[in-house]
Amino acid sequence: MRHLLFVPLILFVALAQVATAPYFPLLGVTANPLLVLLVCWAMVRGPTETMVLIPLAGAFKDLITTDPVGVSVLALLPIVALTTIRERRPTESEFLPTLAVVAVASLSYGLLYMMVLTAVGDGPPWLQSPTRVLLPAALFNALLTPIFYLPVRWATTLSEMVRPSMRVPG
Amino acid sequence: MRTLVWLLVVGLIALLGIALSQLGALDPLKNGALTVVSPLERGLRAAASPAADFLDNVTDRQDLEDENRLLRQQIEELTAEIAHLKESQFTAADLAELAEVEESRPDDQFLVASVIARDPSNLKERLAIDRGSSDGVSEGMVVMSEGGSLVGVVSKVLDDFAWVTLITDPNSNVNAMVLESRAQGVVSGSLHDGLSMDLIPQDAEVEPGNTVATSGLGGNFPQALLIGQVAAVRGEQQDVFKKAEVEPAASLSRLENVLVLTSFTATHLVSP
Repeated sequence: MRHLLFVPLILFVALAQVATAPYFPLLGVTANPLLVLLVCWAMVRGPTETMVLIPLAGAFKDLITTDPVGVSVLALLPIVALTTIRERRPTESEFLPTLAVVAVASLSYGLLYMMVLTAVGDGPPWLQSPTRVLLPAALFNALLTPIFYLPVRWATTLSEMVRPSMRVPG
Repeated sequence: MRTLVWLLVVGLIALLGIALSQLGALDPLKNGALTVVSPLERGLRAAASPAADFLDNVTDRQDLEDENRLLRQQIEELTAEIAHLKESQFTAADLAELAEVEESRPDDQFLVASVIARDPSNLKERLAIDRGSSDGVSEGMVVMSEGGSLVGVVSKVLDDFAWVTLITDPNSNVNAMVLESRAQGVVSGSLHDGLSMDLIPQDAEVEPGNTVATSGLGGNFPQALLIGQVAAVRGEQQDVFKKAEVEPAASLSRLENVLVLTSFTATHLVSP
């Protein structure tokens, strides 16, 4: 339950994203730091904690934007499914799969978001969006990944050092 | 299995939330959340602004940026004034028409509002202002920049806040005309391509530098409200319509304060 102490941090990232991300565009799009942080969190610490953080962060973000409440929660849900790749350990490195999951989660976020907006009659142009928004946003989010991955990794390592693991070595 | 159940439950709750939002049932909650976080948002925006300016103008000095901003504002104000003068010149020939325009636009009344947030989704061009229904703001009201050019339309109103859909939003369409040639068309937003004016008759004379303003057709916007200037004209001789790229007069990405035109009520025309 100690991870709940980080809820204010997650909410702050959501708020900072809404307040400042539009002022730092790259490739014509803005980043989604909340998504990147949640993916890094899930890949480093496992998806269980993220299952609590996603509804809180998503609902909070929707409350302070023009989006219907629930659309971000829905769009962030695939993170939990995608981070099951962590258990298969496809590479020695934990970082490369995180990069891949960030990119794929960004695409699925965009697609689900567009589907909901279209369903509520506020749909964006579907033909232009994949090349002009979804792919650049996925790339931008992937570029942001080290900024969030490293602190989450270090914080996790630090907390494991403070509280020795119960696992038996070897 | 536990994960699957969680996904289903949270997904269903999210869908319920979306449905309730569409019905407006969560508007008080949104208003409360914005009331709590808007001071923090303002602080974050103020803190981020210098960094954003720095990244925009890495090689520029601060004084050049200030001067540039001042000159841009002056250009916008003067262009808006010219647009009104041009419109007066054209319409002065027809006093009856002028009388109609004056009747439809009595003394303009504005409400000053601060921009507190922008939509971060990449798919929409919207911003939040710190005025809502308690201040007399209602959906469909026209929003202008401090310089007097068109910014967008109020699309969602809460008690103390409102969301404005900018003219650059992909779903925005504004009936417009080129003041020099009186050519009419529709100014539309797009995904990251700025503004374009479509449906301009092929025989209309439109050149870069021409002024584009609202035509007033359709009743959603007042007449002769400055939108921007023609940056380039596209289209081949065989095309039915011309298309023009329009540079917005207002600096839409850096708006801090806007004016809500409270004295103009949009007319929703119904076909006979």
